[in-house]
Amino acid sequence: MALRPASSLLWFTLLCWAIPALAAAQQEPMSRAFDLERRGEYAAAAAAYRSVLAARPGDAAALLGLERVLLPLNRSADIIPTVRSALAANPLSAPIHGVALRAWAAADQPDSMRAAAERWAGVAPNDEAPYREWGAAALGRQDRAGALEAYTRGRQKLGRTDALAAEMAQLATAESDYLTALREWLPAIRKLPGYRVTVVAALGQVPANSQPELLRMLGREDDFIARRLEAELRARWGDPLGGLRTLEAALPVDRTAAVDALSGLIDQLRGQRTQAALLVQGRALEAVAARTPEPRASRIRLQAAQAYSAAGDREAARRMLTGLALDRSAPGAVSSDAAATLVSVLVDEGKLEEAGRRLADLAPSLAADEYGELRRRLVQGWIRSGELSRADSLLGADSTVEGLALAGRIRLYRGDLRGAVERFQAAGPYAGDRAEATRRTALLALLQPIEPDSLPALGAALLQLERGDTADAMRGLEGVAQTLEPTAGGAELQLLAAKLAVALRKPAEAERLFRGAAADQTAAAAPAAELALAQLLLDQQRQAEAVALLEHMILTFPESALVPQARRVLDQARGAVPRT
Amino acid sequence: MKRREFVARACAGVAALSPLGSRLGWAASAPWLLVPMDDAQSDHLKAYGLTYRVLQRGDRAEWFLNYRSGSFLLPSDAATARDAALAGVATEPLNDGQLVQIRGQLQGGNMDAVPLEKAPKVAVYAPPNAPPWDDAVTMALNYAGIKFEKIWDPEVMGSGLKSYDWLHLHHEDFTGQYSKFFLNYAGAPWLVEMVDRNRAMARSLGFPTVPAEKRAVAVAIARYVERGGFLFAMCTATETLDLALAADGVDIAASYADGSPMAPDASGRMRWDEAFAFHNARLELSPTTPVYSDIDGHQVNSPDRRQPLGSFTLFNFSAKIDPVATMLVQNHRQVIPDFYGLTTSFTRKTLKPSATVLGDEPGAPWVKYIHGERGQGTWTYFGGHDPEDPQHQIGDVPTDLSLHPHSPGYRLILNNVLFPAAKKKELKT
Repeated sequence: MALRPASSLLWFTLLCWAIPALAAAQQEPMSRAFDLERRGEYAAAAAAYRSVLAARPGDAAALLGLERVLLPLNRSADIIPTVRSALAANPLSAPIHGVALRAWAAADQPDSMRAAAERWAGVAPNDEAPYREWGAAALGRQDRAGALEAYTRGRQKLGRTDALAAEMAQLATAESDYLTALREWLPAIRKLPGYRVTVVAALGQVPANSQPELLRMLGREDDFIARRLEAELRARWGDPLGGLRTLEAALPVDRTAAVDALSGLIDQLRGQRTQAALLVQGRALEAVAARTPEPRASRIRLQAAQAYSAAGDREAARRMLTGLALDRSAPGAVSSDAAATLVSVLVDEGKLEEAGRRLADLAPSLAADEYGELRRRLVQGWIRSGELSRADSLLGADSTVEGLALAGRIRLYRGDLRGAVERFQAAGPYAGDRAEATRRTALLALLQPIEPDSLPALGAALLQLERGDTADAMRGLEGVAQTLEPTAGGAELQLLAAKLAVALRKPAEAERLFRGAAADQTAAAAPAAELALAQLLLDQQRQAEAVALLEHMILTFPESALVPQARRVLDQARGAVPRT
Repeated sequence: MKRREFVARACAGVAALSPLGSRLGWAASAPWLLVPMDDAQSDHLKAYGLTYRVLQRGDRAEWFLNYRSGSFLLPSDAATARDAALAGVATEPLNDGQLVQIRGQLQGGNMDAVPLEKAPKVAVYAPPNAPPWDDAVTMALNYAGIKFEKIWDPEVMGSGLKSYDWLHLHHEDFTGQYSKFFLNYAGAPWLVEMVDRNRAMARSLGFPTVPAEKRAVAVAIARYVERGGFLFAMCTATETLDLALAADGVDIAASYADGSPMAPDASGRMRWDEAFAFHNARLELSPTTPVYSDIDGHQVNSPDRRQPLGSFTLFNFSAKIDPVATMLVQNHRQVIPDFYGLTTSFTRKTLKPSATVLGDEPGAPWVKYIHGERGQGTWTYFGGHDPEDPQHQIGDVPTDLSLHPHSPGYRLILNNVLFPAAKKKELKT
């Protein structure tokens, strides 16, 4: 029968009204139950869910709701009769079978759990879920043996050796049986490669004494999945170079798969700042770049160069950067960044002439600030090499605060103490980074009590320190200290020499120098020397001596700015506050 | 007078008046040291330790209630001056004339001087391997330099409590349910260790279950208070101690703790007359929710019931009529930021009328700090875990009190340590 337009409209309107009303009528008891559950009225919600189930015994959503609300009421086992009716009405529903299993678990009936799982497996013979749920319910009761029984039974019934492998592996990990865990994880990853990340996280925590055996087991496997897992585990266990070697030997020809594997290894090393980890990051990034099209490859090579540079492999960093800086096909920003990084690498490497040439070539394309920064970096390189004249002439009349700070250092290392102090004061407290500013302030404090305007021996000792020759610097400082009165800078220089001895791990020498610096109690350095000596004694477990010294320092120099710090160390020495 | 003699005398005068002189005990003309506890104090917490050690040496001290936020009067001897200088506690030299003036002020206002006579012997109830930095009282005692001894179930069940004046409880779950973390932290090494240790202890003391043993410990603690002990409890020890005491013949423990589920009608069968502070509470029936009852107002571990932190206000009491309550609230701050614990606060509806409220959150249905008497002793409950770590989580870095030397919350703890030192006098009410 064909409907006329007006009649169609009427029918449509009626349908629009009737369908939601009908749905609402069906949904209303469920909605009420949900609402009561959400409000925390669990007893009322349980009654509401039961009323839904009385009308529709096979309603899985209502049964799951009832299970949820019975838990906080501590009455989980009460659901059993309702579950029986639900199973009779809807015997193929997996969620209902799951509820049945958990209900028997709550009732502490392991035999019934087993029977419920077998009943479920009967209607889903190829499914792992019945055994997985059975195991999970057993684990919920802290029953690991029950869980093992569930998984073993499932594996037998399903007739697959890799069935429930991930569950078996997790169980073995919890038992600290790492060999079994790995044996189970391997088929699990082969079936579902996404498990690899979980496995590396889980086995990454394995104690060091168990690691060799696991590596031997992995070594007996000959597929790429095992190699990749071995590489990432080696990286997690502190052998990144071994990890890279393992991976490189097995990398597939397929570029995408190889890049994916290399990236996985890099991910494992992200947070590690050891030299080996940084070096491996550099090498892995270089390998990724070799398999990546431009322009992305250039950016990755720059990252590789930065990792090499941080690892101290300047040769490799320079190799990456030289190519990039000259590569006309590299994006402009990458090329410019690479050239600037290269100058820094060359300076760090001590190749100052070449760095100077590169900087001169680069100058036209650099912003003035960027150029000035690189030039000052080169000045620092010349200072570190001891070529103070080259440094001075390159610095020229740089009037920035950073330039004044550098000029102060050049004066200082020449022994011109007055000139150094004037320039440090002109540079003020904000030149350079925070560490640099702190170091400059410390130098000013060191120079303040020294009366002579010129002291080349002191400049030479401090230059040795700048160049990393700590042992000679320590001897030089002690020598200069002996020529000065303790109250006229002698004690301060001896204190600095003592701190260098601590850095050189020469505690006996440090103790002698600290005691020398504190010998004249009228010297301004005396309280600092006593505090530093107390810390040295604490590090040597000489608690009683440290406590006595700290008490002496606090009582003798009550107005010293170091007293609050000394009190804190005293508290730590006495165990009154945690040592941090 | 010759010029040289004049200069020498002037220098001596300046030295005597200088702070350095007072710190090192040079001010021989001042027989007293006032330890101010207002904002002039440089380390409020260590000031308690300084006073405690004076008592320990056999000297006497006085607590000036409500005078400069609860100052102490100590003898100005060399040992005290040295101790104050080492601890960094600010002191002010007082001569007899100045002291008379202060006593006049104490007479005229809501203030009083309470003599402190004897350093109380302090016990902290904690398992043998409890980490030293996970209990606010232990941290406060360590920082202030107040000696204490650790005791646990064997000492409580024996006669160990008799030798202590003051007992502190903090973490312990006296319902024997391992802080109700059993299901949520299943497998965590610290929980496994805690369960094993408690089960072994219950067995060795001849109890069938941990809840039964913990209830016996709770009863022994109640007897200790009745005989004249001072009890101070924080965090979850407050609520669970009362629940354990009231659960006489009632199973309030989940099945994982004692093998049988909690009695569904437990709330109605509790014997609240045996509890110190609470009554008519409704017990939490879910074994998976780390909440015990509606005693705690904040329910920190129940996401749908958790209440945000506010701040609590200390009450004012009459120093002359109610010196005990006054001692317990001495502070340089009246309003203090709140902090969570497994039990953070105490709902007013579950509080017995006999309990004295020392601090509460105005307008909120809970209080924070309460006190009461039982037999010849007293109990004080302070909700929350760590006053300087308001959102404390398991595994957090320990609080370093040298970074919080003025903590008003920790001061409340130390008020409790020192108040048993006060000479008892007959109260007017």
